[in-house]
Amino acid sequence: MEDKKIILDVKNLNTSFKSDGKLIKIVKDVSFQLEKGRSLAIVGESGCGKSVTVHSVTRLMAKNSVISSDHVIYRKFNEDGTAKEYRIDKMSNYGKEMRSLRGPEISMVFQDPMASLNPVYRVGDQIIEGLLEHNPGMKKDDAMKMAIELLKKLGIPAPEQRVKDYPHQLSGGMKQRIVIAIALICNPELIIADEPTTALDVTIQAQIMELLKKIQVELNKSIILITHNMGLVTEMADDVIVMYMGRIVEKGTLKDIFNAPSHPYTKMLLASVPVLGMAQGQKLTTIPGSTPNPADLTEGCEFADRCPYCTDECRKGRIPGYEVSEGHMVRCRKFAGNKEVD
Amino acid sequence: MAKYIVKRILTMIVMIFVISFVIFVALQNTGVDPVAQSLGVDNYSAETAAAIREKLGLNDPLIVQFFRWWGNIFKGDFGYSIANGYSIKDGVLAKWPATLEITLWALVISTIIGIGVGMLSAFWQNSIIDYLGRAIAVLGNSMPEYFFALVLIQIFSIKLGLLPSAGRIPVEGSRIPNLILPIAALAIPLCGNLMRYTRNTMLDVANQEYVKLARSKGIPEWKVYFKHIFRNSMRPVITILLFRLTILVGGSVAVETVFAWPGVGIVLTQAITASDYPVVMFYTLFMAVMMLSISFLIDLLGAVIDPRVRLEK
Repeated sequence: MEDKKIILDVKNLNTSFKSDGKLIKIVKDVSFQLEKGRSLAIVGESGCGKSVTVHSVTRLMAKNSVISSDHVIYRKFNEDGTAKEYRIDKMSNYGKEMRSLRGPEISMVFQDPMASLNPVYRVGDQIIEGLLEHNPGMKKDDAMKMAIELLKKLGIPAPEQRVKDYPHQLSGGMKQRIVIAIALICNPELIIADEPTTALDVTIQAQIMELLKKIQVELNKSIILITHNMGLVTEMADDVIVMYMGRIVEKGTLKDIFNAPSHPYTKMLLASVPVLGMAQGQKLTTIPGSTPNPADLTEGCEFADRCPYCTDECRKGRIPGYEVSEGHMVRCRKFAGNKEVD
Repeated sequence: MAKYIVKRILTMIVMIFVISFVIFVALQNTGVDPVAQSLGVDNYSAETAAAIREKLGLNDPLIVQFFRWWGNIFKGDFGYSIANGYSIKDGVLAKWPATLEITLWALVISTIIGIGVGMLSAFWQNSIIDYLGRAIAVLGNSMPEYFFALVLIQIFSIKLGLLPSAGRIPVEGSRIPNLILPIAALAIPLCGNLMRYTRNTMLDVANQEYVKLARSKGIPEWKVYFKHIFRNSMRPVITILLFRLTILVGGSVAVETVFAWPGVGIVLTQAITASDYPVVMFYTLFMAVMMLSISFLIDLLGAVIDPRVRLEK
C-alpha cells in the first residue's frame, strides 16, 4: 500500500441536502482511493449519488448541501517522489486554496457540452481563462497559442479559426472537445469526467472516450469517470465503484466487477446490458421495482426492496462491506462469512 | 447588420407615419372646436370663426390637413397651442430642461442603485441586504411615485425641515436641495423593478452549467459573478432599463405636480384638461418615436451583448 501513489483519498464522505427543513442523505459513507495514473469508473443508475460524490470532492456543490467526511486528501507528487497533501475537506468551497487546486491539479468535464460553455464569450477566451488565472503575468497571446496547440492535439481542425468562434457556432462533439480543452489547459493530474458523452451521438461518444483514454495513458493522468454506460466502463476503467442510493455497494478492479460480480445489484445491472452476439430471442433482464425516495430510507440495505435474496437481516442496521478477494469489496449480507473491510 | 439596420429604420418610419395618422384622426374627432376654443366666449362670432377656419385651412379634407401637419413638422413647425397660443416647439423646449434635470438624475441614480443592490442581493442571497432590497422592490413596485413624494415631503420638509417641499428655483442659495426630493420620489419606484430583475435573472444564470464550469477553472467568485453571471443577466435588465427612458420625454405628471416642478409633465396635463389637441398630438407622436427608437436600441444592444442573437432575419 505504501509504495502506491494515492492521488485522491476519500474517507467516509457524506453529503446531504436541506429540503423543506429536512436533511436528506444523498451520499453515505463513501470511501475510495484513486491511484495516480489509473482510471476509476463510478457507475450506477440516475440519482444514485455518483455526480454528488465527485462534486462533493471538488466542492462544487449547491448552497443547500452539507458535506462531511473523515478526510478528503489530494496528493500532489513532485519530481523527487515526495508528495504534498491537501486536505480538501478542510478547505472552504471557493477559497484561495481550493481554487488553486481547481484547474492545475483537478479539473472537470461536465455532462452537457451544450450548457457547459458560456454563450457570450469566444471559446478561445474560455479556454485560456483558467490558464491566465493560474499563471499571473502570462501574456494573452502566449496563452492563446497554447490553447491552439492543445486544440490541435485534441483533433480539432483549423484551431486558429475555432478559438474565435462562439459556442453556438460549434457542433456538440466540437463543444465537448472545447470543454475537454478547458479541463486540460492547466495540465491537471486528476480529471473528473461526469458523464462526458451522455449528451452526444454514439459515434462522437466513441471519439471523445478514445480521446480521454489516450490522454490518461499517454500523459499518465488519473481519471474518474462517472457513467451509467457499462460499455464505456470496460473500455476506460481500471477500477470500478458501483453505487446504489448513495452508497458504494461494490468496489474492485474492472476484472473483479465484470468477472465476479458479487452484489445482487451489480449482477442485475450487468445482466441488463445488451451484449453483441446475444442469442436470438434472449431477453434482457430488468431490475424489478423502482429506486426508492432517498427521504424514505432509514436503515438496512438500500437495495432490499428490489433484491431477490433479501432477508430480515438486510433490513437492520448498517450493512458492512465484506472482502470477496483482495481489493474487491461487496456490501451484502450474503458474504457475511467473509472478512469485514468497511 | 447594416442591411438590418436600414430595414429596421424604414419600418420605423412607416410605423411612425401610421401612428401619427391614428393620433391625428382620433384627436380631430374629439368634438372640440379649436377655433371656438382659441377665440374664447367673448370674441366668438360665427363670421370670425368661419374666416379663421378658412384661413387656417380647417375646411380642407382631413387627409390634406394631415399632410400639411407633417409638412410643417418637417419645417420644424409643430403648430400652436389652441388654448394659450404659444408655439409648441418653444413652449416645450422651455419646459424641457426642468424635466430632464430630475428625470435624468433619477434614471442614473436608480440604475446604479437598482443594478448594484440587485447584484449584491444575488451574491448574498437571503442576507440582510437581500431582504432589504426585496422589501424596497415590493414597495417600489406597488406604490405610486406620488405616494413616495408625499411621504418624503412629510419627513424631510415638514418634520425635519431639511429640504424644500416645492419649487425649482429658490429665492436664494443653492438649487440642489430643491432637486433632492423630486429625484428621490422618481428614483425609488424605478429602483425597485430593476433590483428585482437584476437579482432574479442573476440567480437564474447562477444555476447554469457554464457557471459551474467557470468555477471549476479556479477563478475567484467575483470574476464568476461579473464575467459569467452578470454579463448573461444583462439582456432582460437592459430591456426594462431602456423602456424607462420615456420619462425623459414625458416627465412625471404626478411628481411634477406634487413638487410644483415646472416641467413638461405639467404642460401635458394642462393641455389635456384644456382639450389643447395640437399639444397632445405633439406629445403622443414624440412618445411614439421615443418608444420605437428604444425598442430598436434594445435589439441592437441585445445583439452586442449576446452573440447568439442574429439581427438578420
